[in-house]
Amino acid sequence: MLGFMDYVQSAFYEASHWNRDNSYGTLNATAQALLDYDTPRGLRLHISSLAAPNFATSYTVGSVGIVDGSISYLYSSLPILTSAKSSDIDLHHVIKGYRHLRDLRRPDEDWWWEIWHSGKRIDRRDTLLYGRIFLPRSTLEALYLRRLSPTKQLKICCVSDSSLNNGGTILALLQSDVGKYSTEYMYSTDSALLGIRGLYNFGPDPRENVVAPTIPEDVVEPIHGRFSAGAELYYGILNKSGGLSTGLRFTTLPHHTGFPYTMTLTLNPLMGNLLSTYAVKAGQNLALCSRFHFNFYSYESDLQLGCELWTRRRNTDIEWAVKKLRPDWKRVTLKPDEDVTGVLKARVDQDWRIGVLWEGRIKELLFTLGASLDLKRREQIFRAIGVELQYSS
Amino acid sequence: MAFNFNWSPLMADTTRARDMLTAALNKSPKPPIIVDDIIVTELNMGSTPPELEILEVGDLAEDRFRGIFKMSYTGDAFLTLKTRVQANPLNTYLSAKPTFASPQPLAAASGLTIPLQITLSDIRLSGFVILVFSRQKGLTLVFRNDPLESLKVSSTFDSIPFVRDYLQKEIEGQLRVLFMEDLPAILHRLSLRLWSSEYQEMDDEKTADSSKDNTAPIDPLASPPQDAVDAFGNPLDESQISSLSLGPSETHASFSQKNLLRLAALTESHRTLSLFTPSMREAVFRAWAGAAERDHSGTNTPSLTLSSLSRIQSSFNNSVKSNTSSIVSGSTGNETTSSRPTLQSFGSTGLGGGRSRTHPSRKGKNRVVNLRRDQTDNDSESVSTEPSADAPSIIISDTTSIIPEKGEDFSSPPSPTTGLRFHKRNGSLDVGEPSQILNQSTSESATPTTPKSADTPKSSRSKSKAKISTPDLSEKPKAFTTPNSKTPSTPIRYPHPTRMLRSMSLDKIPFPQSASATSNSRLPMSPPYTESASSGGILEQAWMMKMAAEIARKVQEGKDKEAKMERQNARSGNWQSRSRSNKAEGLWARSEDDEVEAPPAYVA
Repeated sequence: MLGFMDYVQSAFYEASHWNRDNSYGTLNATAQALLDYDTPRGLRLHISSLAAPNFATSYTVGSVGIVDGSISYLYSSLPILTSAKSSDIDLHHVIKGYRHLRDLRRPDEDWWWEIWHSGKRIDRRDTLLYGRIFLPRSTLEALYLRRLSPTKQLKICCVSDSSLNNGGTILALLQSDVGKYSTEYMYSTDSALLGIRGLYNFGPDPRENVVAPTIPEDVVEPIHGRFSAGAELYYGILNKSGGLSTGLRFTTLPHHTGFPYTMTLTLNPLMGNLLSTYAVKAGQNLALCSRFHFNFYSYESDLQLGCELWTRRRNTDIEWAVKKLRPDWKRVTLKPDEDVTGVLKARVDQDWRIGVLWEGRIKELLFTLGASLDLKRREQIFRAIGVELQYSS
Repeated sequence: MAFNFNWSPLMADTTRARDMLTAALNKSPKPPIIVDDIIVTELNMGSTPPELEILEVGDLAEDRFRGIFKMSYTGDAFLTLKTRVQANPLNTYLSAKPTFASPQPLAAASGLTIPLQITLSDIRLSGFVILVFSRQKGLTLVFRNDPLESLKVSSTFDSIPFVRDYLQKEIEGQLRVLFMEDLPAILHRLSLRLWSSEYQEMDDEKTADSSKDNTAPIDPLASPPQDAVDAFGNPLDESQISSLSLGPSETHASFSQKNLLRLAALTESHRTLSLFTPSMREAVFRAWAGAAERDHSGTNTPSLTLSSLSRIQSSFNNSVKSNTSSIVSGSTGNETTSSRPTLQSFGSTGLGGGRSRTHPSRKGKNRVVNLRRDQTDNDSESVSTEPSADAPSIIISDTTSIIPEKGEDFSSPPSPTTGLRFHKRNGSLDVGEPSQILNQSTSESATPTTPKSADTPKSSRSKSKAKISTPDLSEKPKAFTTPNSKTPSTPIRYPHPTRMLRSMSLDKIPFPQSASATSNSRLPMSPPYTESASSGGILEQAWMMKMAAEIARKVQEGKDKEAKMERQNARSGNWQSRSRSNKAEGLWARSEDDEVEAPPAYVA
């Protein structure tokens, strides 16, 4: 489950029309959401508040042997208007699961953002500032996010920790996304790492003006899927080492009539890693995912399976009555997912390591209950078990 | 004397050593490049034994040994390790970084683990080894310098020069750590398992603790409250006591149970806000010390029974041990930073019991010393047979140096006559008397090394402590001459024959650092003095020896002295009663007493 601050950040992206899915870094987002989630350890409480549309605070207390916690603040120049109350947050926004990719959106024109007032431009670039201190470790995280233009975004992440070399590290990320393709340039102060990532979407360019079809035959049938290809390249100047990978993705778009599915294939030619994932949304409530990993230098292989199941409340008491309603009668329509009681995620790999996660909402609280098990180790099957509770207002 | 080292059994069975090496290598957090356990697959000690050259043997007995060796090894031993390493540099780089500021590559950081086999051979070692063995504490082996000279690392990646160089560098670094830190621990554990039967029953946690104990031996007198509590907690558990150290068991012999219990109660009350103070016979509380200053210098000098003397000696032995290690640390280069604290701690630990006791009474003693200096300057010098180059300056300085204080404390009354009187008094004093030392040191051990600026004796003492580390020879010998002359005291102070021998042997060993001191050659007694910070105990013993000889001479030559002794014996009969009454009377009566008492000694 996303933390409150992550939720607010994603709301900021939403409000500033930034498509996070259109990046090489999120090529495997579906598989990662279904297979790579962390299971909580111990007890952890989050109390958060979106005090004003521009300002959010969050406090975390946890106990895994020792009591630790964190305090975080967030400021956004763009008002966050979505509800942040834990009682009415849409669970789809806080629980990462199968990601439905949307149709590419045509980027805003620059002049759309201009606001003029009595002959002067008064518009500001949207900015997000975020800071978090972990206690008692005294680790400080800071984030500066700025929408430079409708197609560009600057992200600077800093971590200050005495245990790190030079006491901390800074990562600067310049992202640009024009819909058809996106690029990212990054620089990390740690060993002066330079990186570049790019993603190209095959298919029609959303920037081209879609002229209203004059002849019915000209109507292009809606696109059912999207094929993307990308690559990344890193080079550390100080340690003179680098890395690269390439990837492909095919995913169905909302117009697709059958089961939505996503396939990716990534390759690291230097290290000989081949990674393929296949995720399918097998129903309204079920998503399945598999990932296969193979290294053709060391012949190591790995297989992981995962699933996601949305459980809904059954109104068995009134079901018979609903059935008897005449079709022309007005029905009480539920909000989507109002009857969701929780999401069950499970994963297993070839070494019989199992992770189980149960996320949902009880009254006003969002909860995450998780355990990771290792069936190979008979003497200590439960590797970790934990509960996380979130309350926000 | 000959040693017979048997190398072949070491070659025969190396499975246990292999297991221990494996455990040691996997204990410390490994660099992220190593993704699997490091397994020692082969360990061969080779057929060529290392060459050992004995530089010194400090302590030799059936159950203990201490010595310094020069070791050089050019044998054919080899060691094969097996592990798996991460070949992707990006992976290892990112694994140590926080995820928040990580670039989070999609697949560029995916790992590639490669099995790695490393063979270490052609090991060339050369260094100085300090070996301390006692049956109770096991074997402690310390390398004075970095013993690793060269080493050949051959691995799976020999064909790649970059990786080969990297491995060579990394492994050399790791091995240095192994030799300096891990190997002593392993050997210690092995030795304990071999010799100490109690140890075998202990669990692993205690193992770690005791090994820590041994690396930094703790003087039993350094923490008297601990001892008292130990004695309090399990007074009769023999095995427990013997496993602790030499100190406590002998503490038992010298301190009465009753007083120990009371002292324990006292220290407990110090820790809390309790105002309860158990009454202790023959003890002066610090709170009264201001008024009864003279008590300490005069009457209440602790009598030394044989057992208490042995206790002192054993504590000295310990302190010497700890200081050899401090020398070691000092010699590695950063002397000023590293050796100071140990010296300080020496002052507080090794001598803590005695030195701290003198605090309240320093003033009075100073005066006594000055008196003596004025009158019998020649005498003391002729006795001590040491050059008197800086005699004038010493009159001032001798009041502050540590050793005279200690001497005065434990064994020397201000004058030989009073010394003898004390000797007589020994019979009348109960065994609980030495517990005063404990008492005082418990109260002071909390802040042993922080000199109060207001308290001039203390601050000057700390200065002298600092001087000790520098071989200021002109001053030190003088400082030692003063007790020599004034402490020809009791026959009781003759150490036990075997102890004497040991102390002699300790004396004659030039300490590694003092070898550099120029005055070694011309002053036969000076090496311990220059090292007085480290070898206060040795000094003490040597000085007692001298003192003993001196007594004999003095007894021979001074007829009137004997008469005086008799006279004073007669006087000392009523001393006891007077000393009791004087406590009530306070300072002036006492000081008058001393001034009456002191002069005859110097006349003689």
